[in-house]
Amino acid sequence: MRVVVTGMGVVSPIGIGTAQFWAAAVNGISGIKRIEGFDASDQRSQVAGQVPSFNPSDFLSPKLLDQIDRFAQLALLASKLALEDAGGLDSYDPGRVAVSIGSGMGGFGTFESSAIRKFRNQPVPPFTVPRTMANSAAAWVAIKHRFTGVNLTCSTACSSGANAIGMALDLLRSGRADVVVAGGAEACVLPLTMTSFEILRALSTGFNTDPERASRPFAKGRDGFVMSEGAGILILEREEKAKQRGARGYARLAGFGQTCDAAHIVMPDMNGQVAAMRGAIVDAGLEPEDIDHINAHATSTPLGDIVETRAVKNLFGERAKNIPISATKSLIGHSIGASAAMSSIATIMALHTGTVHPTINLDEADPECDLDYTPNQAQQKNPRTGLCNAFGFGGNNASILFTTLE
Amino acid sequence: MDRAEIETKVIQFIATKVENRDASTINSSSKFEELGLDSMDTIQLLFDAEDSFGINFDGEEAKGFTTVGDIVSYIEKHQAQAAS
Repeated sequence: MRVVVTGMGVVSPIGIGTAQFWAAAVNGISGIKRIEGFDASDQRSQVAGQVPSFNPSDFLSPKLLDQIDRFAQLALLASKLALEDAGGLDSYDPGRVAVSIGSGMGGFGTFESSAIRKFRNQPVPPFTVPRTMANSAAAWVAIKHRFTGVNLTCSTACSSGANAIGMALDLLRSGRADVVVAGGAEACVLPLTMTSFEILRALSTGFNTDPERASRPFAKGRDGFVMSEGAGILILEREEKAKQRGARGYARLAGFGQTCDAAHIVMPDMNGQVAAMRGAIVDAGLEPEDIDHINAHATSTPLGDIVETRAVKNLFGERAKNIPISATKSLIGHSIGASAAMSSIATIMALHTGTVHPTINLDEADPECDLDYTPNQAQQKNPRTGLCNAFGFGGNNASILFTTLE
Repeated sequence: MDRAEIETKVIQFIATKVENRDASTINSSSKFEELGLDSMDTIQLLFDAEDSFGINFDGEEAKGFTTVGDIVSYIEKHQAQAAS
């Protein structure tokens, strides 16, 4: 059974909608700016990827604005765009439409603001729980569009979006759903959340006056990831049914691999990453030599980028140097549970257009990062297959494999 | 504020919180459910009203509110108590 992507919606720091997002990506535009959503003067990391021109009141009533956290608002807009792109799902029984959305943190914006009120002995907003719960994004997408089928949320930190897309493939293969609205959403450009990542020394702190250069995967002098927000949603359905209803396909979702390092709660491990990539390739019935492009997890942390480079070399051997790699996070930062969903869209667009987007800020690579990361300039590579990696805290590794339709 | 003033302000406030309702269609006897507000929406409405009117609703008493007039009466009563 073949599963195809028939719709995409993205709400990102470099644009809303796939056309805007992709145009910025191939042109190497950075979406990283100084933090605007709150007073960040006390933060060590003062830069972030924030979605510009996002006006939830354009599509939500005041009543719903009270009830829906920003991460779910981002998911609602990305879903709306993806569904429109897919031409709507009216030909499906709503009971067979599933939703599978990943989020690492859920409604942490609500949690942080309600906590402040509680500790000041002020009343806590009534929708604190429904706004904070991680499954609120998937629930609101279902409520908005009356999708009454399976409704799942995956929370595996930075790989949440990838696992949510993998779970969608399982739902279609097992026959539990006929179509899945799948992806990830996150909105944690927030003071407490960012401070908590700072204390782990995970965030970039050395580029506060030069935000666009802060997210620099594989580059010499990188000093951590840049927090960001956004949502990416795919419409996934069986190829046969998609053809029947005359839907346009962008790419096939051919396989996915999932592993756990079972080693350290936050430090990455090469073996788990290799196994996840290999798992995706085997799942698709392919061989490592069939892989033409990799969208790397590449968060811009000193250790993470080296470990991923080693994992790619371990799996692909000498061929590793010839595989064009893109780091979407160089453009938009790291949006935790949304990151792999947005990177999936970048991977699909590489297959669909033939262009591999650049990894920006890569003037001088770290000597330990010695692969072809497509530095600073987009390349016409016409890949037929693309692997999208996502490695999260908890040693959680997911790799998704997309191929062209042929 | 006299009762009429409180009522006008409460109705204007509620009109911003409910969907597709003009303030002129809301009066003191309007029931929350007629305004499309379910029990959770009503709790949110009272929470927002606390900030707007600088008042704290007693949780137990507020459970019994069913109409716009109940909010108006509560504010009127507690305003009088605060003044005395």
